[in-house]
Amino acid sequence: MKKENKITAIIKAIITDFLFLVYIFGCISFLVYRWVEFRIDNKFIGLSAFIFTILFFFIGDSLGRKAFFPSKKTIHKWFKTFWGWFIVTGLLVTFVVGWNLVEVDFIKFFMQFKNAGGIMSGIFDPNFDILTMSLTALAETIYLALLATVFAIPFAFVLSFFAARNLMPKTFIGNAVYVIIRTIATIFRSIEALVWAIIFSVWVGIGPFAGMLALMIHSIAALTKLYSEQIENIDTGPVEAIKATGASTLQTWIYAVVPQIISPYLAFTIYRWDINVRMATIVGFVGGGGIGLLLLQQQQLLRWHNVGILIWLIALVVWIMDMLSAKIRAKLTET
Amino acid sequence: MRVYIYFLCVLCVSVAKDLHMKNIVEIRNLHKIYSGGTHALKGINLTVKEGEFLIILGLSGSGKSTLLRCLNKLIESTSGDIIVNKEDVVKAEGKNLRRIRRHIGMIFQQFNLIKNLSALTNVLTGRLGYVSLGHSITFSRHKDDVKFALENLRRVGLKDFSNKKIKNLSGGQQQRVAIARALMQNPRLILADEPVASLDPATADSVMKYLGELNKKDNMTVICSLHFLSLARKYGTRVVALKDGKIVFDGKPTDIDDKRFKEIYGEETEEVKIR
Repeated sequence: MKKENKITAIIKAIITDFLFLVYIFGCISFLVYRWVEFRIDNKFIGLSAFIFTILFFFIGDSLGRKAFFPSKKTIHKWFKTFWGWFIVTGLLVTFVVGWNLVEVDFIKFFMQFKNAGGIMSGIFDPNFDILTMSLTALAETIYLALLATVFAIPFAFVLSFFAARNLMPKTFIGNAVYVIIRTIATIFRSIEALVWAIIFSVWVGIGPFAGMLALMIHSIAALTKLYSEQIENIDTGPVEAIKATGASTLQTWIYAVVPQIISPYLAFTIYRWDINVRMATIVGFVGGGGIGLLLLQQQQLLRWHNVGILIWLIALVVWIMDMLSAKIRAKLTET
Repeated sequence: MRVYIYFLCVLCVSVAKDLHMKNIVEIRNLHKIYSGGTHALKGINLTVKEGEFLIILGLSGSGKSTLLRCLNKLIESTSGDIIVNKEDVVKAEGKNLRRIRRHIGMIFQQFNLIKNLSALTNVLTGRLGYVSLGHSITFSRHKDDVKFALENLRRVGLKDFSNKKIKNLSGGQQQRVAIARALMQNPRLILADEPVASLDPATADSVMKYLGELNKKDNMTVICSLHFLSLARKYGTRVVALKDGKIVFDGKPTDIDDKRFKEIYGEETEEVKIR
């Protein structure tokens, strides 16, 4: 191993160990506070984590060492090593803290079923009088999902080429374009459509248009990622061959890349429409219009029989979309 | 006077021969080191005359593919000079490079055709170096190009297959489509990277026959990497053997005897005879 590599590996190992220990000690101090109301000082946690990090690092086979130094020594069973116990302790502590934070309470779950009686009776006795109104709202939802998908396609299509590692030249600019587009797509994707809907319902007013914009933004980001990954998986042979004929970069993309990705792109797009129909319902809850908005209103008015029919309709549409898109995708991807 | 005319004739003939046998490829001290540190080519010096059918022998990993791909800059060389058709390939960039590539046809082991397009469309892609960007974006085809493509398909014996999708063709047929695509470029030089390695022996021979025909009838220079000595003897006019990125043999195919063969391929190898 080269010297610089060794130094960076040591630093990485120590940082990993330190962060891991801080996490474990932090979890333990949280539990101590919850159970016996005793507050452990943060400084103390940091300091002890640091001391233990150094200690474990020099004793050997800590988690960081395991991760960043490929060891040549004989392999022990995990329970004979420090890193094994590190991981077990980490998992255990995580589970206990999780249980505590989520306030898991099985007694409530089994003893308070009758509270949901209203909604249950609504589901099994839906009110068909509002069927016309519900269907109108449902159509709104389906169409807004469709438009969001269609509007997202051209943006995602163009962006995906610049977000594919194998198409971007390995120069500074090529890398920069790739990283910037990928990062923006990741950020936009990690912001839920729900949040976008809140933003747009303020921007353009409550209604299906806000919902469409929210889903469109989210779809562009998601499709860019899916599309570009598809490009990264193409057969590079034709690309090489077309390049060898003296074609320009754009010609190579059009004739060697596009024919290979058209049907998977269509498959992904239909899948996205399917997802968008589902999301459109949720987005409706926060002002995105459609059947979600109607559901929210009826639920707040405690009209459980109206809620019942809406739930059935949503389930029906999601089921049909799911089946249809799976069928079409299977047809498209078979080669 | 007679003597003069005689000398003049001799001079003319030799000049003509010289012109005829001019170098189409010149490689000087070519090195290629991959970013992973693999030293694939270690100082290759090679001159290929126009009209030659040059066979490159060598084990997998001996640098055959790298050498071929350096010739049209699909792979950038680390150091050394490459002159193809009197043009410097190493320094060529952008438009210039595309113009050079346009005259070098290339055939690959895996055919490298676009599988869900028709044979005709695939053959037409060979013309991309000549077609303007506007035409290629709108997918418009020039009449003459289509005619030329059909003629090339007929030439490789696939007249009736122009509308078939590539994925429905056999390996040998696919490689012939690839040859037709290379012909669209009007190439002076054809690079073939193990063109028959994924074909059965009989098909391999028929594909090689087309390459031999291009070499003899159209006087195209062919540089072809192979594994089979029998095919090399049958079609090659000259053989170069690579081992660990160096040229270990350069001569006539008939000069390779068992001893030479073992030197190239290692002691334990027996020659595989096909046909």
